[in-house]
Amino acid sequence: MKIITINPDICVGCGNCEYACANEQKGNFDIKNSWIRVNFYPADRVCIPWNCAQCEDAWCMRVCPAGAISRDPKTGAVLIDEGLCAGCKMCMLACPYGSIHFDLEAAVSRKCDLCGGDPQCVRACLSGALQFVEVDRAYEFRRRQFDNVLRAMPGIAKQDGEER
Amino acid sequence: MAKEIVKTLCRMCDNRCGMHVFLEEGKVTGVEGNPDHPWNWGRLCSKGKAAPDIINAPDRILKPLKKTPQGWQEIGLEQALDEIADKIRQIQAQYGKRAMSAWKGEALGFNQEEEMVRRFCHAIGTPNYFSNDSQCFVCRYMAYRFLYGTGAYPFPDYANAKCIVIWGANPPAAHPFMTRMVMEGKQNGARIVAVDPRLSMIARQAHDFIPILPGTDGALALGLIKILTEKGWYDHDFVEKHAYGFEELQSYAARFDLDYVEEETGVSREAIEKLALLLYKSSPHVSIYIGNGTEHHVNGVNNSRAIASLIGLLGALDRKGGSRVLEGAGVRDMTLYEEIPLSHLDPIGADKFPVLYDQRHECHTMTAMDAILSGDPYPLRGMILTGANPASTNPNVAKVKKALASLDLFVVRELFMTETAELAHYILPSATFMERTEVFCHAPIHLLNLTPKVFSLPEVQDGYDFWHDLAHRLGAGEYFPWKDAEELNAWLLEPTGYTVEDLRAHPEGIVYQPHRYEKWKEAPLATPTGKVEFFSTYLKDFGMKGLPEYVSPSYKADPEHPFVLTTGARKLLFVHSRYHNIPRFHEACPEADLEMHPDDAAELAIADGERVSIESKIGAVEMKVRIVAENEIIRGCVHGIHSFIRDNVNEITIDSENDPISGFPLLKSIAVKIRKIKGEGSTPHQPD
Repeated sequence: MKIITINPDICVGCGNCEYACANEQKGNFDIKNSWIRVNFYPADRVCIPWNCAQCEDAWCMRVCPAGAISRDPKTGAVLIDEGLCAGCKMCMLACPYGSIHFDLEAAVSRKCDLCGGDPQCVRACLSGALQFVEVDRAYEFRRRQFDNVLRAMPGIAKQDGEER
Repeated sequence: MAKEIVKTLCRMCDNRCGMHVFLEEGKVTGVEGNPDHPWNWGRLCSKGKAAPDIINAPDRILKPLKKTPQGWQEIGLEQALDEIADKIRQIQAQYGKRAMSAWKGEALGFNQEEEMVRRFCHAIGTPNYFSNDSQCFVCRYMAYRFLYGTGAYPFPDYANAKCIVIWGANPPAAHPFMTRMVMEGKQNGARIVAVDPRLSMIARQAHDFIPILPGTDGALALGLIKILTEKGWYDHDFVEKHAYGFEELQSYAARFDLDYVEEETGVSREAIEKLALLLYKSSPHVSIYIGNGTEHHVNGVNNSRAIASLIGLLGALDRKGGSRVLEGAGVRDMTLYEEIPLSHLDPIGADKFPVLYDQRHECHTMTAMDAILSGDPYPLRGMILTGANPASTNPNVAKVKKALASLDLFVVRELFMTETAELAHYILPSATFMERTEVFCHAPIHLLNLTPKVFSLPEVQDGYDFWHDLAHRLGAGEYFPWKDAEELNAWLLEPTGYTVEDLRAHPEGIVYQPHRYEKWKEAPLATPTGKVEFFSTYLKDFGMKGLPEYVSPSYKADPEHPFVLTTGARKLLFVHSRYHNIPRFHEACPEADLEMHPDDAAELAIADGERVSIESKIGAVEMKVRIVAENEIIRGCVHGIHSFIRDNVNEITIDSENDPISGFPLLKSIAVKIRKIKGEGSTPHQPD
């Protein structure tokens, strides 16, 4: 199973992911139609591209009184059936990450469905902060970053004669 | 009907990412990134994704148009070309061959198109070739060339760097592909430094963000050079064996007392010393990328040259993790400068900006506007312009419009009715990147590509067919002997050892040459001395300063205009004046904005979203203020976005003050005052 991973260390907050999602959902570039949202905090220079985590124990699914929320057995995505959704917004309340949005036109809740297995936000992510990877390889970049810290430590790396 | 997939390269900007085009019954229905192309590995930005919006746009010009007293009239292509050729003959007979000119923009083609236009100018005997290079790229090109003798400028080896300095550039908006390269370097452990008056997108991820006053980059670079040379923190061996003018540079830089540099640049002494130490400790694995931000100042070339000197000083030239000297694929050059010299015909602007002409055979567009209006030094009466929109993107657009509208013949090849096309006598429909085939190199990864013609439309010519057909009508057909672009491509590729067929079989391109480091060990550099020229013998021979001497920007000494206006940063969805006509882009980002520091806004009692008047010495324009966070722009500096349909900051950018070497306008050094407009309330701005 593949998941979307985020790397706040390299996200530049360009917003291509939001545009790509809005384009996928509604065919426009109005980012209120995007399920992924990038929050940028200038004072700390922090960018967080946040999207639904497709929780294994999905509170949105548990709370939905209409039984409209289920899991896609193929992709693992948590899906909202718009035919069953009553628009009660309980899932929005239940989600601890604010990853469920309300579509005013259709009067139903909406969320990331992993685009059926080829998430367009990832395809638009130019920095590489978003990756769609097999779960057993997820957050490999964190291990690599830690390795780099170790590799730079004196006495660990085999020097090639340019030590200072 | 099944979808057919054609592999090509995107050309919504110059980055040329690998792209899959979906065709249904000959119509482009969608695109996505090509997952196998080594340039972008399947990723595509929002502009690329909207390529079908441009290809299939309802407002696309698909028939040749002629301006008549009754308005635009559709005419046949052959008739249009005949009439244009007649008019060119008349103009050249009456005023001389050099009264004609051609201008290459980037909305249609790029390198290959440029060479065709240059070739056409030769074919009809005029030296007057113009392009966007009067105000873009060439300044940095020259800075690197004077120092290192390079053609394409040395490209940072981001992945292997220990320190990456992004100086006056914002890759996510301007060079999308580079974002990932920089971030790969970061993940590999490089320390990232961003130098910019604005907190650019890339600066958000820098370890060290160094805000700097516009145009003072040279002072900072020279301050760094002072520290590095005084402390001996440079590559002694490389400098001794491979550099010319070190002592001169050292003694000039010694004048850059850090108290002065701090005062001049707004960068604290501590930050300067910290950066110098970082550069030294990371050397020679220091990757420096200089962007457009250093170019548009009175000392643009020398600022860029001072920064680029750091590469040689640190021994980072062509070193692993430094700045790689790129090697070309050996594709043929279409120009005829060897065969038919034109410089004796007084190319426009070559007297004012002789280095620009000597280096690039580029006539100066801003001088051209004066020449058209005055007839001095000689009449310039006709122009064929392809894929450019100077009535929106050149400084002082009012003068540009007046000049272009006064021509006896103004032909525009375009996709859309732009501000410039409106001034034309003839508008010719033009092929998009999907309707032509061309050779393209991704030089930073040494990759040679050939893009296929995905489809074609009747009476919509690609660049080659147009210049070919016109040259043949003017009796200069011998210079365009190839039947079509396919034949031309075969000829261009001959010296590379690859054929059109080879490249067709490799839609993800062919690596024509593995990367090699430290090539200076084997052969001298292509500078006059064969060495790194910290002191440029070329510039000295031109009667200019051999050292990158610093000149303080003039906006600092203009109390009448207390703010400095910078322009040119891009929004994600647009490339200069392009794509504002895509309705869903326009809706997503409808308004031009002026970025302002919150303390400056408070002092002037300006609210976020309020319209204000910005005045330079040539005029005023109204724009909507966007108050940004405290660290997003330096105090006293405002940034005005350019080339939106309304509120174009180029109404007040100045065409007549230029860098004496490059001729570039001072688009990021403009002294302005900002006035509240009476009775103007605020309406909140839209997000980016």
